[in-house]
Amino acid sequence: MVRPDETEGSKLMRSRSKLRAGAIVLALAAVSGLARAAEQPAAPDPAKLEFFEKKIRPVLANHCSHCHSADTKPAGGLRVDDRNGLLTGGTTGPAVVPGKPAEGTLLKRVTQKEAKRRMPLEGEHLSASQVADLTKWIRDGAVWPAVKVPASLGRPKPEYERLKKEHWAWQPLTNPRAPGVSNPAWPRDDIDRFVLARLDAAKLAPVADAGKLALIRRVTFDLTGLPPTPEAIDAFLKDTSPGAFAKVVDRLLASPQFGEHWGRHWLDVARYGESTGPSRNIPYPHAWKYRDYVIDSVNADVPFDRFVREQVAGDLLPAADDKAGDRLKVATGFLALGVKDVNQRFKVRFVMDNVDEQIDVVTRSVLGLTASCARCHDHKFDPIPTTDYYALAGIFTSTENAAGVRNQMGGAGLAYYVPDQLLRLSGPVPPPPAEQVEKLTAEVAEAKKAWDAIRGTAEGLKLAANGQPTQRPYRLKFERLQSELLALTDPAQRGLAAHGVRDAKVVTDTEVRIRGEAEKLGPVVPRGFLTALTVPEARPINPHQSGRLELARWLTGENNALTPRVAVNRVWAHLFGRGLVSTVDNFGTTGDKPSHPELLDHLAGRFVRDGWSVKKLVRAIALSRAYQLSADATEAHRRLDPANALVWRHSPRRLTADEFRDATLAAAGTLDPKRPDGSPVKAFKMIEMRDNGPEAKGIHEAADKSRARSVYLPLLRGVIPRSLEAFDPVEQTLVTGSRESTTVPGQALFLLNSSFVRRQSLASAERVLKDPKATDAERVGRVFRNTLGRPPTEAEVVRVLGFLAEYESVVRQEMAAAPPAPKAEPAKPKKPDEPPPDPDQIDQTGETAIEEVIRPTDARTAAWLAFVQSLYASAEFRFVE
Amino acid sequence: MIPLSRRQVLKSASAGFGLVALAGLLDHQAKADEKGAPKPLAPKKPHFPAKAKKLIFVHMNGAMSHHDTFDYKPQLVKDDGKPGPGGGVLTASKFKFQQHGQTGSWFSELLPNLAKHADKLAWLRGLHTDTPAHPQAVVQLHTGSANAALTRPSMGAWLLYGLGSENQDVPGYITINPPPNFGGAVNYGSAFLPAHFQGTRIDDRGNLPNLRSATGSSVQRKQLDLIQSFNRDLAARPGVPDQLDGVIESFELGFKMQRQVPELLDISKEPQKVKEAYGVKDGPAGSFARQCVMARRLSEAGVRFVEICQPGWDHHNNLHKGMIDRCGSIDQPVAALLTDLEQRGLLDDTLVLFGSEFGRQPTSQGADGRDHNITGYPMFLAGAGVKNGATYGATDEYGIRAVEGRMHANDLHATLLALLGLDHEKLTYRYAGRDFRLTDVKGEVARAIFA
Repeated sequence: MVRPDETEGSKLMRSRSKLRAGAIVLALAAVSGLARAAEQPAAPDPAKLEFFEKKIRPVLANHCSHCHSADTKPAGGLRVDDRNGLLTGGTTGPAVVPGKPAEGTLLKRVTQKEAKRRMPLEGEHLSASQVADLTKWIRDGAVWPAVKVPASLGRPKPEYERLKKEHWAWQPLTNPRAPGVSNPAWPRDDIDRFVLARLDAAKLAPVADAGKLALIRRVTFDLTGLPPTPEAIDAFLKDTSPGAFAKVVDRLLASPQFGEHWGRHWLDVARYGESTGPSRNIPYPHAWKYRDYVIDSVNADVPFDRFVREQVAGDLLPAADDKAGDRLKVATGFLALGVKDVNQRFKVRFVMDNVDEQIDVVTRSVLGLTASCARCHDHKFDPIPTTDYYALAGIFTSTENAAGVRNQMGGAGLAYYVPDQLLRLSGPVPPPPAEQVEKLTAEVAEAKKAWDAIRGTAEGLKLAANGQPTQRPYRLKFERLQSELLALTDPAQRGLAAHGVRDAKVVTDTEVRIRGEAEKLGPVVPRGFLTALTVPEARPINPHQSGRLELARWLTGENNALTPRVAVNRVWAHLFGRGLVSTVDNFGTTGDKPSHPELLDHLAGRFVRDGWSVKKLVRAIALSRAYQLSADATEAHRRLDPANALVWRHSPRRLTADEFRDATLAAAGTLDPKRPDGSPVKAFKMIEMRDNGPEAKGIHEAADKSRARSVYLPLLRGVIPRSLEAFDPVEQTLVTGSRESTTVPGQALFLLNSSFVRRQSLASAERVLKDPKATDAERVGRVFRNTLGRPPTEAEVVRVLGFLAEYESVVRQEMAAAPPAPKAEPAKPKKPDEPPPDPDQIDQTGETAIEEVIRPTDARTAAWLAFVQSLYASAEFRFVE
Repeated sequence: MIPLSRRQVLKSASAGFGLVALAGLLDHQAKADEKGAPKPLAPKKPHFPAKAKKLIFVHMNGAMSHHDTFDYKPQLVKDDGKPGPGGGVLTASKFKFQQHGQTGSWFSELLPNLAKHADKLAWLRGLHTDTPAHPQAVVQLHTGSANAALTRPSMGAWLLYGLGSENQDVPGYITINPPPNFGGAVNYGSAFLPAHFQGTRIDDRGNLPNLRSATGSSVQRKQLDLIQSFNRDLAARPGVPDQLDGVIESFELGFKMQRQVPELLDISKEPQKVKEAYGVKDGPAGSFARQCVMARRLSEAGVRFVEICQPGWDHHNNLHKGMIDRCGSIDQPVAALLTDLEQRGLLDDTLVLFGSEFGRQPTSQGADGRDHNITGYPMFLAGAGVKNGATYGATDEYGIRAVEGRMHANDLHATLLALLGLDHEKLTYRYAGRDFRLTDVKGEVARAIFA
């Protein structure tokens, strides 16, 4: 539906909400052109309803629902306990076409000539009079009691209008002038004037500036997620020029590690993961392309508004060449890589759940709004009516989620994989050998027929001599042939595929779903955006497209104040440990109010004026005096503002799981700075995996072995690399703007006993022991500098040397008493690949990847290992001042 | 005790005050940190007084057939072989049923030992769930929600969030051999609750990641002293991270856990009599019996929530032999667990929940199987706070649909929380702008079974 193109913002908003309300009222009256052919009047004929209740419902309930209802397995995907279920039908098409008894499958199947195939397969067949009743009912329009539409639906709400006017986050951006401050010499940037003015008002003074050492450690971690090298530290300490710090910042911004670290921040928000997650975990073998896209875009400083548009509508943007087109397709992985319940029985629920997931990720990541709350009812706190939700939903139901999976209840092997659905990337695929393909295609069809025939039958379920169901070899044969065929024909097997989205074949507005139930259709809502925000420059939705392009433009429109506010707040939070709005993913009425509203608008305006450049924003903040405060705290400060919301100091922060791992590798000199080729998940087929099965084991082993940065580790949902597990890794199923920072004993155990920490400690110890000329005191100094970025104090050297001597002598005695156990026996040769077991019938005691125990061979190395490990375990290593 | 500030303690510790004494102090101070803020895992007062302090969930994963175990229906026996309502052929159990105890509860011959506890059990016979598929139903049983789009915290995480942990030296929430699919880690995850509340997964041999010391304990203590000396130096500096006290404490606790947790999980030192009572044996066949012994030991040590798991109940085929086999592996251990808990007085403050994600059909599937049934099936409770021998709810004459005392996962969770002293409507956590509950916006407490 095309909207009138108006220019004046408020007028358009008013007319739009009216239009939407109007459309609903029309649909309710069932005289609207929007009403679909299959729709029935809101108030069906009582006589027809009575006929349904007396004659039809009992037949469906007593003869069909045992196999075809929401409470049972809907055999063939059909459910008879819902009108839309019958209209949509199952795998063989609609069961009922209202008014046309000859067209649906229902009557055909209950009157099938061949008695063995006639429905119901078990129990008595329908009588002639029952069949006649069904025929009459379908001819009369297949009347069913109407879905009750809540009276409030689509009605304007006064409290929403009030909130739209009053809640700070939805007001236009202001351009506040920098305020006057008590000490004009202190600020270096307007940022500082806004910060100091707030401190002045609270009668607090900022603490002293940070020392140079603390500063370079802070900025290097904050910008790259890595510690500064000892050489970088020395260079900065020696550089007394006024621009010394700016030089450091510019160097870090230009380094590829900046994109890896800040790309990781976005991947957290984009709930990035390399598998579908809960229910049945199917790998996304091409997800890593989206990961690399994000990292490269951040490094290239792609303007943030463009970055958002690419991810929401990359496939609809013009591309100069194939390579650029591929990049834009990959960008839409943002919408495709969410959690998916592939085991969902009903396609309509699968679709609507995925749409909900997309609405959630888009609105929370970009807008800081929880629009998905409006799926079932008008949003309780924010002015987001259900009709707005379904205006957005129509955009996504008009979009094909090309993740490469379908829904299916139960099923094994490649049952969930849809190769043609994946986005095809450019590149030559040699034509497959036609003869072989033809032969295999026929064989697959035959094997499928045999499998379908025996599947679930009494004969098929009977146990064969080997104790397994007779049908099992049929399934395995089908799956094997299917795999062989795909190996020849599937471009994805050559890496020429991506998970993403494209516009669907059918582009249309969708219905409100009453109480969020996918099947309970209410009135149709025209596609559109959230009415809480006024974005006059937004264009009406192109009726021939999904509307993602217009959504992308609306999200990043000049007058959409929320998008830059949310974005700059995320950047601030990463640099200060706390956002100006502390609830970084929620700018709604239940979120926190900004601590510095004017600063937030100043930054947001500046961000947009600077071409949405994240690098420029990071640079400006890093060079501010506020960022460079020391971490010192006085009791008075703590008493007045314990959370440091006013930025009187720089709050120390703990490293994230990823930073801890990377810093450990960097300090040991074992970090491999190169980007690995893809991901170990790349080799996986889109087949369900257990979290203790052979695939998970392989993933753990690959992750244990990897020396690449943590952002490049395989990140299957539910299979967290062990080296990340201890320090609150990101929850990959949820939009995560800020990581947890918990303190639990399990972290101490990880630091004391994990093979990861011990292996890196050993590497570091061996590195300093290798130099024959160094004294032990020099070696201690080197370890301190490599690990903590500073030389040890004299007292520390004395303490460590004492520790080393004592530790070494104890270990020497122990070793003399009991020689170390021989090395663990070599791994047993792998059994040849067994056919995959039925996932629901497996023995659940799993295969676990064994953690190697790191034991140095001599007492001296053992002592040095223990010392290095102690520095890794120290709080100083994992906190940044 | 003089209320020393933790920082004072640490300063005096670096001035020669021994670490042993420090550890003792830390023990007493586990409840609150320096600023008086409650520690996330410190024991918390329930919303109202309650007998049950701990929960053990005995999870029969895969959907145990209630028609062949607990839900005896004379009408099904009578109509054996006739068409069932809605289709299929009604098929009575091939196993003999008998009434037990003063309550006259029915048990099939597959569960002779459990039947001896007949009068101790409180039955919930009207359970139902939303999805007839294991993955969603298992997730719903654990988190209340079958919607995979928003991952919710598991009930154990909610319990830990609501009540804290009684023993700071062991994890407060332990799950043994959880299902590796069907939601996997979601079933013991904390989702948007802070990670302290997530379940710790161990296997039936008591293996916990990173628990085994890679060095001898004497040298490790020296190493720990070195680490803590660095931490105390940092504590004396002006820009101290707020979490530092917690970090220092976590090392002492972790160090202690290395010794205590393996001891706790080592069932080899249990008296022979106990091992025999549970039917403990080596190898996969003894897995569930070992889990039962571990559950008792963990619960005794104050672990708030323990879940143990027996998979393999999904009898679409091979029902007859499968039921004999599976019931054989759980009957004696579960009965022994109840006896053991009772004899040690642990049933006074421990609640036991037993059951599956859903039930099965009274009609047959194939020659020797039963399909899923989400519309009516039982679970039972035993121990603290429940009425011995009580029954709440019932299924219809064939055991298909719950007709009385219907309970959804939300109702089950509301009831469990209430038995543990928590009001499910007050146990909330703010996430994404909304106060979330384990029971979403639903949940009715089945007070009929309360003692």
